Amino acid sequence: MGVARLKKAELYYHKSVHEEIAAVLQNSGACQIISTQEENYAPPADVEALISKTDEKLSDIRYLTRTLTPHYVDPIPALDRMLGERPEATMSELEELAAATDLKAVCETTRSIEQETGNVRLQLSEARMNASLLSALDFFPYQLSIITEGTRTVAGLVGTLKAANVSGFKAALGDLSKFKDDSEIVIAPYDEKAQEVYAAVIYARSAESEIREVCAKQGLSIVEVPASLKGTPEDELEKVKSSLIELEAREADLAKKIADLAQECVPTVQKLSDYYNSLSARYNGTAKSDSTECTMLTKFWIPADKAESLRQAVEAIGTDVDLSYSDPAPEDEPPSLLNNGDTVRPFNILTELYSSPTYRGIDPTPLLAPFFWVFFGMCLGDAGYALVVFGTILYVFRKYRKIAPGVKDFIRLFLFCSVSTFIYGVISGSFFGNFIDSFLPPLIPLKNSLMLVDPMTNPMQVLGISLLLGVIHLMFGLLIAAYDKLRHGEFIDAIGNDISWFLLIVGLCLYGVGLGGMLPPHFVQVGGGMAGLGAVIIFLYAGKGEPNIFKKVINGFLALYGSTSYLGDILSYSRLLALGFGSAVIGMVINLLGGLAADIPYVGWLVAVVVIIGGHIFSIAINILGSFVHPLRLQYVEFFGKFYSGGGEPFTPLTLSQEYVNVRA
Amino acid sequence: MEHLGLSLALFGAALAAALAGIGSAIGIGVAGGAAAGVMTEDPNKFGSCLILQALPGTQGIYGLLIAFFVLNKLGLLGGAGAVALTWNQGLQILASCLPIAVVGWYSAIWQGKTSAASIQMISKKPEAMGKAIILPAMVETYAVLALLTSILMLMGVQVG
Repeated sequence: MGVARLKKAELYYHKSVHEEIAAVLQNSGACQIISTQEENYAPPADVEALISKTDEKLSDIRYLTRTLTPHYVDPIPALDRMLGERPEATMSELEELAAATDLKAVCETTRSIEQETGNVRLQLSEARMNASLLSALDFFPYQLSIITEGTRTVAGLVGTLKAANVSGFKAALGDLSKFKDDSEIVIAPYDEKAQEVYAAVIYARSAESEIREVCAKQGLSIVEVPASLKGTPEDELEKVKSSLIELEAREADLAKKIADLAQECVPTVQKLSDYYNSLSARYNGTAKSDSTECTMLTKFWIPADKAESLRQAVEAIGTDVDLSYSDPAPEDEPPSLLNNGDTVRPFNILTELYSSPTYRGIDPTPLLAPFFWVFFGMCLGDAGYALVVFGTILYVFRKYRKIAPGVKDFIRLFLFCSVSTFIYGVISGSFFGNFIDSFLPPLIPLKNSLMLVDPMTNPMQVLGISLLLGVIHLMFGLLIAAYDKLRHGEFIDAIGNDISWFLLIVGLCLYGVGLGGMLPPHFVQVGGGMAGLGAVIIFLYAGKGEPNIFKKVINGFLALYGSTSYLGDILSYSRLLALGFGSAVIGMVINLLGGLAADIPYVGWLVAVVVIIGGHIFSIAINILGSFVHPLRLQYVEFFGKFYSGGGEPFTPLTLSQEYVNVRA
Repeated sequence: MEHLGLSLALFGAALAAALAGIGSAIGIGVAGGAAAGVMTEDPNKFGSCLILQALPGTQGIYGLLIAFFVLNKLGLLGGAGAVALTWNQGLQILASCLPIAVVGWYSAIWQGKTSAASIQMISKKPEAMGKAIILPAMVETYAVLALLTSILMLMGVQVG
């Protein structure tokens, strides 16, 4: 239970076996390498060479993954992949695969297809532009070469013009003395609504500058006609259209080529990705070691219970190795690894989502687990929903046998919580909302006989239970804080900071409950006494170390004023009632809608079934989200606020990369 | 004037469903914009983005829940027919709807903004998903408290 004990290992070995050593450390999955180097330290040349060789491969793999994956259709559905249904491979199989695969060649092929596709796309967009220009120029009766090249004496230009300017433009050119009979204006036919029209001018070269000047003045914006177009617009359009067809066919062909290539190569690339990423992690681990000419020293953290099996694995390599273990020194800051049994382990993720504990700190996981379990149950609070969740998870566990441990633990968390949900659902009489009352009246007596609380008719009772759970949760947090301080010998702080508040709040609760007549009257005195003692301690502790008597008093009162924050903390637990109520009422609404739908003639029963099933699935999804988030908040804000701040570095051992493939040693 | 009570009560139900719904729509919209931005960079974040985007949606559900609660109390669901209500009772029901209507509306908008910020956060630090979910949930606390207030008030109102 708690944070696992780690050993600090020092492993000396001959340089010649560094690859074997690194493989053993990686395969054990239990060693976090400690960087032992000074700045500017360069690892041995052969390690550097291995790293740069792997990096080269990885850069090819990244290129292929980026380029090919978008064209790849994964035969394994994404959900199956997430649940561990992935190819299996051992490192030696992957090594053979790596030796047999010419990554460079695949990259070459991919690059050439990519380049050709780029070219074809460029030509396509050019051809499309030409096609649209040519269909606009279909009014032009001559060869386009007059515009693109001209003859020795004649040239031409094409442009667009505001429709309103056409007559002005014609007149202006006509007025020009150099605009003689060998010149011509051709205007594209246009209707009255058109804004812009195409106009072409053919002129003698001698008059070029004057004519261009007039055109510019009249607002003709010149359109560049690509030099490749020489024949009449009609002929050229024919040509462009046929080349478009050919280019589109080539594009489709290339797309198919790359899709085929992706289908063929991506599985291999993914396997190699895991292989080379594993190697890269391994060599970079070795690069953190210290080295002399022949000897290397690798330091790492290892959980104490794995130390012996690693020693055997390392010693099997040869006699040139020396492995020694020591306990962490006081000045060391080891990483922290949560080590909890099967029942508590699924809750580890809740702690890790917040922040891992420090190595010497308290692991809050076993402390929060029961509360989270109960709170989740109260928030979801429906026996029917619990059965659905439980059944779904059992089905998933039965169907998928290779779920990764982390994912499996997370799912198991919900399996556990569905039990508390079921229990609370039974004692609060909620089964798919009020499904029993609405549709299964014979079961009502059974339901009622099992009910202990009834949030629908007596919400104050459940509110009371929620707040009471809140007080217990908070007081438990204070006691842990006090224990933690006592452990470190901070006796006064434990009393002043934690025990005092515990006395005050528990005392006030007893006092209040006693006054309400729910406990024998002497609890009023006991409670009052506890609260008074607590208040006095808080008052005195806050003024501690303050020489000025007035400031002492002010600090004391300010500290007592802090009790409002406890009030807020406790009231925060009213969400347990509200969320449980929320899921029950949403369920009720769905049943109500289903009941109303059943009144539709002929198809009513079908609509009702759809509404009820669909509605409850929606309700389960949305309520699980709420029932996860809110109890978690109660742990993080209210509970952790009393004693826990995390701040540890999580234990991250050197492992095999398992992004796409289940890689084994 | 004999139906004034019923009208006031219905007005309350309408406010609860409408204002809280508007708030959720805005909140989800704001968060959705951020999610779309993050997903243009990394489409694989769809799952976590969707969860964060959904968080400001609960206020709309709380509002709907209160609206149904009122309709049920008034006997408008099912064929039983509406209960008789004085205008005073109608006003009490209207008042009971206000906490979730107003708080649901505002808190959903601000929760949406926090969700959007959280979505930005996981685009840089996907491992911080836990913290990213908690921040918007801090805002939702007040919607939950308002829901509770509305429920308790409604249960206290005597009709029929």
